[in-house]
Amino acid sequence: MGGKVPPPEQPGLQDDRYLVERAQQGAREAFAILVRRHQDRAFNLAYQMVRNREDALDVAQEAFARAYTSLSAFKGDATFGTWLHRIVVNLAIDTLRRRRRGGEAPYDDSRGLPEEPEGDLPAPDDPATALEAKQTRALLARGIGQLPPAQRAALILREIEGLSYEEIARAVGCNLGTVMSRLFYARRKLQQALKAHLADLR
Amino acid sequence: MSTITHWLHKTGGRGRRLAAYAAGELSGAERVRTESALAGCPGCRREVEAYRLVARALQATPRVSLTAAEAQAFWSGVEQRIATRARPRPLTARPALREVFWDHPRLSLASAAAAAVLVLGLTVSQMSGWLYWGTSLPNGVEVLSVEPGGDAPVMLFQAPGSSLKVIWVFEERPTE
Repeated sequence: MGGKVPPPEQPGLQDDRYLVERAQQGAREAFAILVRRHQDRAFNLAYQMVRNREDALDVAQEAFARAYTSLSAFKGDATFGTWLHRIVVNLAIDTLRRRRRGGEAPYDDSRGLPEEPEGDLPAPDDPATALEAKQTRALLARGIGQLPPAQRAALILREIEGLSYEEIARAVGCNLGTVMSRLFYARRKLQQALKAHLADLR
Repeated sequence: MSTITHWLHKTGGRGRRLAAYAAGELSGAERVRTESALAGCPGCRREVEAYRLVARALQATPRVSLTAAEAQAFWSGVEQRIATRARPRPLTARPALREVFWDHPRLSLASAAAAAVLVLGLTVSQMSGWLYWGTSLPNGVEVLSVEPGGDAPVMLFQAPGSSLKVIWVFEERPTE
């Protein structure tokens, strides 16, 4: 097994379904292309859930390994991305629950806040606005960290990943009503967490 | 308070409706009705605005990317995990017979005693044509019982001064 991933130049390699079929037939290199295509998004989703690079990398890699070993169970009802989301979210929820069981806070300030992600947003020119944005992000991160894992997953998939309710329901394996309910409670908690800060901003 | 505002406060799920409205998830008549209600409820409007600010802040959350090194090594990490999973589980090696005896001296003693009895029995059998099973043999090993059985007679004996009892099964080798 080499570590090299073939470039997706051939026709058909742009299509996830084709690559999944090839991988199901045993073509490891087709799966490698899928991994390369989805690894950043899987990592970001894992990071938003667990708020720690090391854990996020572990969750993302484990998600792909599990996807590969259960590839025969993938029937193509959802896209490969949605299916992968489901695995990432479930593994991230497991990680959060393990932390909680281990006596560790489900969200640890020392893990999340100082590790300001090197995102792709430009910093605001105005220092006051930049500080304000940073404070909001910090409060938001803390608020997200206090959400139960299932609510956190629904919120992140909706607001950060931009998934539809139906996609979230498929990704987390519950019905639409449950998704709406989890989203409502998550939003309300965040709104309350940011209430004082929002009042200052007005 | 207008009738419409009254509706918003009285109906169940006011918070849900406002959150859904803020997220643009209400449609048709429900959205129009909520908008009308909001016109007469400053508190509800503030709440909607707060939901929108939260949503905007969430959507502005910076995406986190793998570093170049992490991205480069990512597939290798996945491959290693796949390989570990696919590899057949190593069989737990059964200890060699001599290791069992080495680790269990009492078994060694019993084996030695059994071998002695067997040699003695065979010798007596050769000499007299029949086995003599007394309660005591010349070397002091005491035979406690003999079960003739069918194919495999069983003998229970004990070394002198030992509480250890040994069961010996005489089993004929199957003929080809």
